[in-house]
Amino acid sequence: MGALLGFEGEATDAEVVRAVLAGDVERYAVLVRRYRDRYARYASRMLGSRDVAEDAVQDALVRAFDRLADCREPDKFAGWLFLILRNRCYAERRQRQRQERPLDSTDELFAAPDRPDGEYEQVERAHALEQALQHLTPEQREVFVLKHTEGLAYEEIAGVTGATVASLKMRMHRAYDRLRELMKEHL
Amino acid sequence: MKTGYHALVKRLLDGELTLAELPPELRAEGEEALRLVGAADRAPVALSPALDERVMATVRRHAGDAPANRVWRWLNTPRDVELRLRVRPWTVWAGGLAAAAALALLLGRAAPAPPLGPGTQARAGLRDSVLVRFVLYAPGARRVAVAGTFNQWDRSIAPLVPAGTSGVWTTTLALPVGQHQYAFVVDGARWIVDPAAPAVDDGFGRRNSVVAVSAPGGHTL
Repeated sequence: MGALLGFEGEATDAEVVRAVLAGDVERYAVLVRRYRDRYARYASRMLGSRDVAEDAVQDALVRAFDRLADCREPDKFAGWLFLILRNRCYAERRQRQRQERPLDSTDELFAAPDRPDGEYEQVERAHALEQALQHLTPEQREVFVLKHTEGLAYEEIAGVTGATVASLKMRMHRAYDRLRELMKEHL
Repeated sequence: MKTGYHALVKRLLDGELTLAELPPELRAEGEEALRLVGAADRAPVALSPALDERVMATVRRHAGDAPANRVWRWLNTPRDVELRLRVRPWTVWAGGLAAAAALALLLGRAAPAPPLGPGTQARAGLRDSVLVRFVLYAPGARRVAVAGTFNQWDRSIAPLVPAGTSGVWTTTLALPVGQHQYAFVVDGARWIVDPAAPAVDDGFGRRNSVVAVSAPGGHTL
């Protein structure tokens, strides 16, 4: 955390949080700029849609502001914000499941690039994986995204989710088996 | 194709082994598995540039709110509530008896009321209670309870029950109208404020969550 990005980056998260709590509301924009894209990928992969992810990130940032006084360790604002976003992502999925409204297609996440022909197969596989991820349980999808998309170690994932390393590995190993089954046409 | 990966191949995917360390007969399976995780898209996802201004506009509005408005906004925010009901046959009979007792109580009110004793006060209190559902997402927890001013902060009185294997713990309590402070207790020792509720300082350097219970037809802030 605390990447030094230009003038505003010189303030640590804790300094910005304290300034906002002291009444300087505009300083909150520093945290918005710092974390909006950082967590966008996690939310997109968890929710399978960039638009839904954008709503989730926006909502999490507003909720974090509303409850900023509850942030017990301001220097760990990033982890605290992540937990708010994570709860928001889980709630979004539960709500859509209850309403039997599937999340949007993952097509938009892959709408972009003109890729060389040789990479076509890889693009197809990546697309298939994104769709397959939506068929995992939320817990399995989360551990896969945090490890293989965000590049976190099991110990780091345990730190942000509160689960034990053993249970995370069990989830992940079930996810590998399920993904193999779902992806058999693309491997 | 077999359904699952060999345990050694899973260790390869976890980064605990290299492809060269796999037995020769598992290398093809290992290469296939690496293609699978290699398909994970690690490209950054860019959100709309307008997001910053939308967040800040909402934040400025909320910052100008009076505390009572913030509590009211929290009370008005839609939340997930799951109600699951398992009915056993004997509970139908028990429910019938309870309904009969309630009817008798209502009819009995026509007669002069006796002086209020403890039991009567309890019943009167129940009429001014509202069912409040507590929900906590704690996937790694072995047990969760809620303790607060409504149960003298006793961590053994109000346990939450897990909703399946989702990691969500819930319970529903009848709370008197008014404002209550509370916190969740995870595994008997770890106190956690409710992430979905406003919180106040308890005067000892910790924070308690707050729930404001309003009577039907009115609101208590």
